[in-house]
Amino acid sequence: MRDFEEIEHTADRSFHVRGKSFAQLLENAARAMHSFSRIEGEGKNSAREVEVQGVDRETLLVNWLNEILYLEQRHGEIYDRFETSEVNDTHLRAKVYGRCSPGGSHIKAVTFHNLAVSETTEGFEATVVLDV
Amino acid sequence: MLSKHDLVRVAENVWDIPPTFRDDMRVPARLYADGDLLEAALTDNSVVQLVNTATLPGVVRHAIAMPDIHQGYGFPIGGVVATRLPEGVISPGGVGYDINCGVRLLVSPATVDEVKPYLAELASALYANCPSGVGVHGSLRLNNNELDKVLHEGSRWMLGERYASGEDLDHTEEFGRIPGADATYVSDRARERGRNQLGTLGAGNHFIEVDQVAEVYDQSIAARLNIYQGKVAVQIHCGSRGLGHQVCEDYVGRFQKTVKDYGIKLPDRELVCAPFESTEGQQYFRAMACAANFAFANRQLLAHLIRNSFEQVLGGKLRSFRLHQVYDIAHNMAKIEEHTISGHSMRLCVHRKGATRAFGPGSSVLPDDLRDIGQPVLIPGSMGTSSYVLAGTEGAMQETFGSTCHGAGRVMSRAKAKKMVHGAELSRKLESRGIVVRAGSMSGLAEEAPEAYKDVSRVVDVVHKVGIGKKIAKLQPIAVIKG
Repeated sequence: MRDFEEIEHTADRSFHVRGKSFAQLLENAARAMHSFSRIEGEGKNSAREVEVQGVDRETLLVNWLNEILYLEQRHGEIYDRFETSEVNDTHLRAKVYGRCSPGGSHIKAVTFHNLAVSETTEGFEATVVLDV
Repeated sequence: MLSKHDLVRVAENVWDIPPTFRDDMRVPARLYADGDLLEAALTDNSVVQLVNTATLPGVVRHAIAMPDIHQGYGFPIGGVVATRLPEGVISPGGVGYDINCGVRLLVSPATVDEVKPYLAELASALYANCPSGVGVHGSLRLNNNELDKVLHEGSRWMLGERYASGEDLDHTEEFGRIPGADATYVSDRARERGRNQLGTLGAGNHFIEVDQVAEVYDQSIAARLNIYQGKVAVQIHCGSRGLGHQVCEDYVGRFQKTVKDYGIKLPDRELVCAPFESTEGQQYFRAMACAANFAFANRQLLAHLIRNSFEQVLGGKLRSFRLHQVYDIAHNMAKIEEHTISGHSMRLCVHRKGATRAFGPGSSVLPDDLRDIGQPVLIPGSMGTSSYVLAGTEGAMQETFGSTCHGAGRVMSRAKAKKMVHGAELSRKLESRGIVVRAGSMSGLAEEAPEAYKDVSRVVDVVHKVGIGKKIAKLQPIAVIKG
């Protein structure tokens, strides 16, 4: 089974994502979102430290992806590698790696639409809708 | 999933889903559509999303979807939901991430034939002068004090800076300033994202379009709006940029906890809301008003840059080309309005997400010079297709809280559109029809291909027939400028 796949959505973009652990789900979700960026980074490599809080797994997932979008816009960078550490249901620390890309991603925001992080026999899964 | 059997035909092009359809519905859901548009709406989750909005606390009469309904997140795009104050809720997801995304229409006394020889040059000037694309910066660098003024005063701030005229303000919804804005409730991050984006178009479905007035349906109202067949017009479609996105994100995130505090149960977490009069509800409303004012100011500054571009290219060549503002409307917004329902006047919070205010003749909130004809309503079509000017009606006041449709409405996903349509080929096709294209991203162009949208003419015909909008004029594009 693939780590993530795009789901048809009429107006926006949506993907289904899986992970053996919640931490891996978070990393795969970031990679899925990156796969929708039209822009490739170039030039100097960059790395940023990220710390995110949430009231539950779903808010943590949304806040994590939104934090990536914010950093991309703020620094004019695009990230394609994500390493989480210290993950629990309401808090994570991570490092994101990428390169320069003026303006960052074209994705506006990550939504809570029908969002539920569910536990399966293989790990965790969720479906995320992005506003583009 | 819903099927046609779950809908009750109330009248021609009017369909209801009774509250017995699902236990959590508080009111019926109403959908305006002809047969084909209804079929299209039933192919994705948009009608389920409509039903979900009928569960919001305080919702009155019915949750409404316009004929351009399509699947969104939380609310469907094309949705209108009014909650009764003081107990009703306000929902950030019912406004969306692009707060006060809207349309402005300018008209020129110059004819298409006069402008045609300079059209390519004009399109290039518009593309060069009106910054577009992702994360792009505008020419204004606002300090904190100036940004606060924009958030509180909207287009009115532009008047002092000479980027606006009194006529521009008169011909803008809410006169270009939503009351109640308080920048205290706008986060530092939202301010940071918006600070350098005033006067920028952005990407996605946003555009500047040079049009010709192709057809006039109501000569007398059109003349009052300076709209004459064969003349040149300009549409601006954009919103509050990164600032609005961040305001929505901040409050949808915060309200995840708020709904638990108030014991509000919802079928979808994107519908999170707070009682309008609660501290949280008021904070969102005041922040949303700031983002809305930012969007009015943004379209105002773009209008100024467009006027400069006209001057730059046509000055000394044409005698008269000055752009007058027909109107500026919002189609993603929550507003506090008085409406009469079953003979009783009620104060409502009207959410319009992908729907346009369409106040009828006589409305006291319209400017003196437009009051007797009703509010101008601007319906942009998909790229390369027609757009429409409508007027608000008494029917809209009676049936839809003074609301009508907002555009064509998507039928095809962006991914599918990109697979089916090649951006460069689409650009050539538009050019072969005499439409000049200036676009920053060819794949972005492909996502907005006309094939991905419903036929805007059908959408407009439905609202005209059911009487919640009156057709005034049709516009056809001659140049498209996109990020």
